[in-house]
Amino acid sequence: MIRLEHIDKTYNPHTVNEMQLFSDFNLEVKNNEFVSIIGSNGSGKTSLLNIICGSIPIDSGDILINGESINKLVEFKRYKKIGRVYQNPSMGTCANMTILENMSLADNKGKIFDLKWGTDKKRISFYKEQLAQLNLGLEDKLGVKVGLLSGGQRQAMALLMSTITPIDILILDEHTAALDPKTAEIIMELTDKIVKEKNLTTIMVTHNLMYALNYGHRLIMMHEGKAIMDIEGDEKSSVAVDDILDVFNRISIERGN
Amino acid sequence: MKKLLSLMLASAMALSMLTGCGGKAGEADGETDMQVSENVKIGIAQFAPHGSLDNCVEGFKQGLAEAGYVEGKNLEIDFQNAQADMANTNQIAQSMVAENVDLICAVATPMAQAAFNAAEGKIPVIYTAVTDPVAAELANEDGSGTGNATGTSDKLAVEAQLEMIRAFQPDAKKIGILYTTSEANSVSAIEEYKSLAGGYGFEIVDSGISQPADIPMAAADLAAKVDCISNLTDNTVVSSLPVLLDAANKANIPVYGSEIEQVKNGCVATEGLDYIALGKQTGAMAARVLQGEDAKTIPYETISEYSLYINSAALQTLGMNCPDDLKDKATEAE
Amino acid sequence: MALILSVLEQGFIYTILALGVYITYKILDFPDLTVDSSFPLGAAVCAVMIKAGINPYLTLPAAFAAGGIAGLATGMIHVKFKVRDLLSGIITMTMLYSVNLHIAGGQANMPIFSSENIFTLSPFADKLGEYNKVLVIFIIMLICKFLMDLYLKTKSGYLLRAVGDNDTVVTVLAKDKGIVKITGLVIANALVALAGCVMCQDQRFFEISMGTGTIVIGLASVIIGTNVFGKLSFIKTTTSVIIGSVIYKACVAVAIWLGLAAIDMKLITGALFLVILVISNFRKAGAENDQA
Repeated sequence: MIRLEHIDKTYNPHTVNEMQLFSDFNLEVKNNEFVSIIGSNGSGKTSLLNIICGSIPIDSGDILINGESINKLVEFKRYKKIGRVYQNPSMGTCANMTILENMSLADNKGKIFDLKWGTDKKRISFYKEQLAQLNLGLEDKLGVKVGLLSGGQRQAMALLMSTITPIDILILDEHTAALDPKTAEIIMELTDKIVKEKNLTTIMVTHNLMYALNYGHRLIMMHEGKAIMDIEGDEKSSVAVDDILDVFNRISIERGN
Repeated sequence: MKKLLSLMLASAMALSMLTGCGGKAGEADGETDMQVSENVKIGIAQFAPHGSLDNCVEGFKQGLAEAGYVEGKNLEIDFQNAQADMANTNQIAQSMVAENVDLICAVATPMAQAAFNAAEGKIPVIYTAVTDPVAAELANEDGSGTGNATGTSDKLAVEAQLEMIRAFQPDAKKIGILYTTSEANSVSAIEEYKSLAGGYGFEIVDSGISQPADIPMAAADLAAKVDCISNLTDNTVVSSLPVLLDAANKANIPVYGSEIEQVKNGCVATEGLDYIALGKQTGAMAARVLQGEDAKTIPYETISEYSLYINSAALQTLGMNCPDDLKDKATEAE
Repeated sequence: MALILSVLEQGFIYTILALGVYITYKILDFPDLTVDSSFPLGAAVCAVMIKAGINPYLTLPAAFAAGGIAGLATGMIHVKFKVRDLLSGIITMTMLYSVNLHIAGGQANMPIFSSENIFTLSPFADKLGEYNKVLVIFIIMLICKFLMDLYLKTKSGYLLRAVGDNDTVVTVLAKDKGIVKITGLVIANALVALAGCVMCQDQRFFEISMGTGTIVIGLASVIIGTNVFGKLSFIKTTTSVIIGSVIYKACVAVAIWLGLAAIDMKLITGALFLVILVISNFRKAGAENDQA
């Protein structure tokens, strides 16, 4: 479970560019809940992820994972509990390392990176098994450098790598946005499968309304630092894309564009 | 196995590069005259491009010529300059050893050490412009070589210089010296200045720099504190001599040189070295070795005589005169 | 033959250095100028210890450790004080100059001609004659190469490669990328100082200015090695660094041997450098076009 309490965040305070994004923002995501977040540019959805992960500091408020505050932790320490997949497929993998080496790296998350062999040979069959479920044939290319893979293949690997070890929260940062529609579909299905299998608490930011509606338990629409729509369960399944588009358009008109 | 293979490949490439190319350095310098029975090939390795060191090499060739070894006739010279780059000194020294020259003339301390090391006693090394051959472990306390090497030291005539400064400036108390902390010769020269200055009623104020860019501030600061400046053969400082002279002129104090080139360039006077003469002396020693003497047994030599050089124009600018009793001895540096 | 031996000797010594530069330049993408001072640092430590009569073989680990501390300093300045990479190296390099002089007891030049060294004490000294030196250097270099190959296959080594490749991955693995970078700089400068130590015993004197331009030699070796031979899949990158280093030294030897005007040396070095970079850039562009 993750809880954001009374978050205040103002960009460029005391300058002409001062911009208050969050004022007393609250959000709670329950265990095993899959939340999709949509919203226009500048609505605060990406800032929200960055605030959770610690790459943007907050002015006041608290962030708790399973009741424990992570607010004082620096960015890299928060990732002990968090897995993250980025929009850019090259962000989640190491291009100059092989598939096997990348898998080994991910598998060692949470362990000490000492002078033991980087790849545990006994784990190779497990990696192959994991890669095989991607249905991309990567299990037969263990020695290939990840940089030679396509964007979709890399993103699939990034997804696998971020979930291969136990995590409390999975953060998906528009992770299908840079892919072609067909590949995006494959990655989205894969995401759903992994999330369901592992029962992961997931926050997904997306531009794709269909994905937001079709996947996950709950949908939040962000606008100017506020959650202006927050639906789940039956309400969510009864909502149509057009309904959401209406809200979306209304916001856009209000903003004058 | 792969590694061994790649290693062999590397060696093979190096080899092909070496054998693939023709001509050698010395040949360009002149045809070998077959009428002269005794032909010798020597290497001259200079540490850095530098007026004084150039003079050394010039004098060295003259010295050899006077002893009958004339470049282009019975003498082939492979001349190399390491550009003050230590990585080059080793390679130059080793390439001369590989060429199996009859003798290596090494100019300045690091070059002498590199040549001495590379020659491993097989080829005699004649060094020059090494201030302290004993400290450089090229010579023993008694002057004999630690190995197959001998040469000349360009040790400054500190005592004579102090005496001269006293004659020029009877009331002066403080002598300033600017030096580079990385130059071993300068550090040892300062120590000698300090130990001898008291005997002449002077106090030495030294100022260490680490790079040319430090000179303007250090020079101005030093000039304000002292009655005169005495220059060493410090490579960095000598290269920026105009800056030092400028600072001294502003403070209206004289700068004494340590060799004739510096006086030509604006120092008022020196009781010092003539590097051409030093080179000649070294050339004569080299000739002895070429004729069969064992370099190890020849003690290293310091310059046999120092001479007084003055720059009247520079003296006049400061309203100074050459003391009467030195006038006969002094030579105008020009 | 003697010339080839000298090229190999020099080449192998600078390989040790180039392995270090390979870590900073290629793996970490960190232009580390500390090298120009950590090289003489290793030499200073070596000369002082040998003068004090300590077993020359002990100078090797001592220099390695000293270099590691230099790398640690650069790393801390960069990571903890958030100083730019280039500047951190320059700061340490500048400060080390004085430290090196202090270590050498204020002497800018310290000969060790009359002392035993790793070469005179080598078990092959009597049997191999002129090949002794090159063999000793080769063994030390090879040990460094193999240890580095092994290290890069450990978990810690994986992390080091990952941080240069894509440091986001390291952060997401909940590891402090700063510490990984520092580790890399420590190892790199330790190797560089080790090279300085071997160099000092090879030339048998320490000289404060012996580090000037070392980074250029290191970079040239790495770039020649990885660009010319790195593409061949059957050659390990570390092996290509060895070849690059030997080739670079061979080129300098040829330049000297041909009697190229000494004043042009740096110009030629720079031009050679540029040509290799340009060729490899063209190749890279070509490869990318092929892929597209």
